[in-house]
Amino acid sequence: MIRFTDFSFRYREGAAPVVRNINLTIPAGCFVGITGAAGSGKSTLTYAINGIIPHCYPGDFYGSVEVDGLDTLDSSLTDISARVGSVCQDIDSQMVSTVVEDEILYGLENFAVPKDEIPGRVQESLVAMGIEDLRDRTIDSLSGGQKQKVAVASVLALHPDVLVLDEPTAELDPVSSVAVFELLARYANEHGTTVVVVEQKIALLSDYADLLVIVDKGEIRYADSPAEVLSHSEELLALGVNCPRSTTLMNALRGAGIYDGPAVCNVPQAVEGLKEVLSC
Amino acid sequence: MATFLEYVPGNSFLHSMNPSVKLIAAMVFAITCFVTSNLAFLAVLLVIALALAFSCGLTKETAGLCKAVFAFSLILAVVLILTTPQGYELVPLPWGYIGTGSLLAALTVVIRLMAAAIPLFLVFYVTKTNDLTNSAVKQLHVPYRYAFTFTSTVHFIPVFMNDMAGIMEAQTARGVQFDGSLIKKIRLMIPLCVPLLVTSVRKTNSAAIAAEVRGFNLRTRQSGYKEYPVRGSDIAVLVAVFGLLAAAIVLNVLL
Repeated sequence: MIRFTDFSFRYREGAAPVVRNINLTIPAGCFVGITGAAGSGKSTLTYAINGIIPHCYPGDFYGSVEVDGLDTLDSSLTDISARVGSVCQDIDSQMVSTVVEDEILYGLENFAVPKDEIPGRVQESLVAMGIEDLRDRTIDSLSGGQKQKVAVASVLALHPDVLVLDEPTAELDPVSSVAVFELLARYANEHGTTVVVVEQKIALLSDYADLLVIVDKGEIRYADSPAEVLSHSEELLALGVNCPRSTTLMNALRGAGIYDGPAVCNVPQAVEGLKEVLSC
Repeated sequence: MATFLEYVPGNSFLHSMNPSVKLIAAMVFAITCFVTSNLAFLAVLLVIALALAFSCGLTKETAGLCKAVFAFSLILAVVLILTTPQGYELVPLPWGYIGTGSLLAALTVVIRLMAAAIPLFLVFYVTKTNDLTNSAVKQLHVPYRYAFTFTSTVHFIPVFMNDMAGIMEAQTARGVQFDGSLIKKIRLMIPLCVPLLVTSVRKTNSAAIAAEVRGFNLRTRQSGYKEYPVRGSDIAVLVAVFGLLAAAIVLNVLL
């Protein structure tokens, strides 16, 4: 479980706190999507979970952040890293090896995973991300999307309790983005891993997340099920979050008194809702 | 053609050598080049270096490297020509003369630098950086953080070169013309070093954080997964390079 209690943070070089009064509880095994306008503090929240804040980016830290009972302020980054796997936004910087297999080995070697377990873990993570064929490829020869998958696989191999991903589909086309989310959701479901994803593609988040968090100017505006959050499409638009058109359409129909069902997250749900409207 | 200093997969003899032995052999080879001043011996060393490059299919990369080293060594060669009045006088100068000895000294510098550089560069083209790091840690007992820092530095060279190329492309798109004389190009590139420096610092910081959150500080000498046995062929290579070094020293004493 991840728990933010009255958490605020100001970067040392910043004039004002980037996030303020965050109170949020994420149950174990939950798939959480965090979104919001650029500069709203989304990434800062993930840095607070994986301990990068305050251990790498110093500043004024208020309140507390606990990950599986571990207070991130008092624990070392290494202790936090043993539980939290992180995929950074800048994938090229994350790559430390020249070939895919070595990239996955890197974390396993650092955490001194028993040597007889290593081949199985490497294979498992490659299969989980559907990149078995890339095993011997050089990192340099991979596309941006393939690098994203390798980065995720290298973290999955560590069997983290919590997986934090900062815009993991930033360099992916729509089809690959869905594929990555599909793989992540399946892996999390099979292993009971808590997944926290910062993502701009709200349609993707709403399809896969159990909990959708909207951050605005450093504060959490909404933290609920995707259907509940998306029912506020007009307010979200004002916050710089553009809902899927199907959601906006059905919310407009609800506003006009034509549709009274829950907010829809995607086109198939909108189709069902429209069938309901037309059958009345 | 491979990216500068990026690993090129292959099955050549050099690829299969022990990484530490490769590094030591390349360094001893480079030292040999600097120990000897015998032009014929240096030419032999250059031929050996080129043969090594050919054996692992890195002829194009080596040609590119030779071109770059040649350009750099040419500066030294010109200085030597103008400041080493030796041998039969060819061109008189106000402070001395350019002689046959000056030309030979310049030629020696050019060949020495090329012969010394090729094996060192080949090491990075034929060895995965992780293997180089792990082998140095396990067999040479180099502390992991130093070995990792060294290989990461090499790993980042092509990344920063790409960044510089990107910045130059962006400037070209805004109408900056990098064509023309070398001096003009350098003058235009100097202001671009600032954004490159900013990008580099940011990337280095991100890389350090990414390594730390993947347990960098926990790494020990024993935790490396792969083993790097030293085989008979590795020993033979070491004997050969130390033999070359001994030959260079003997030649210096005798001649």
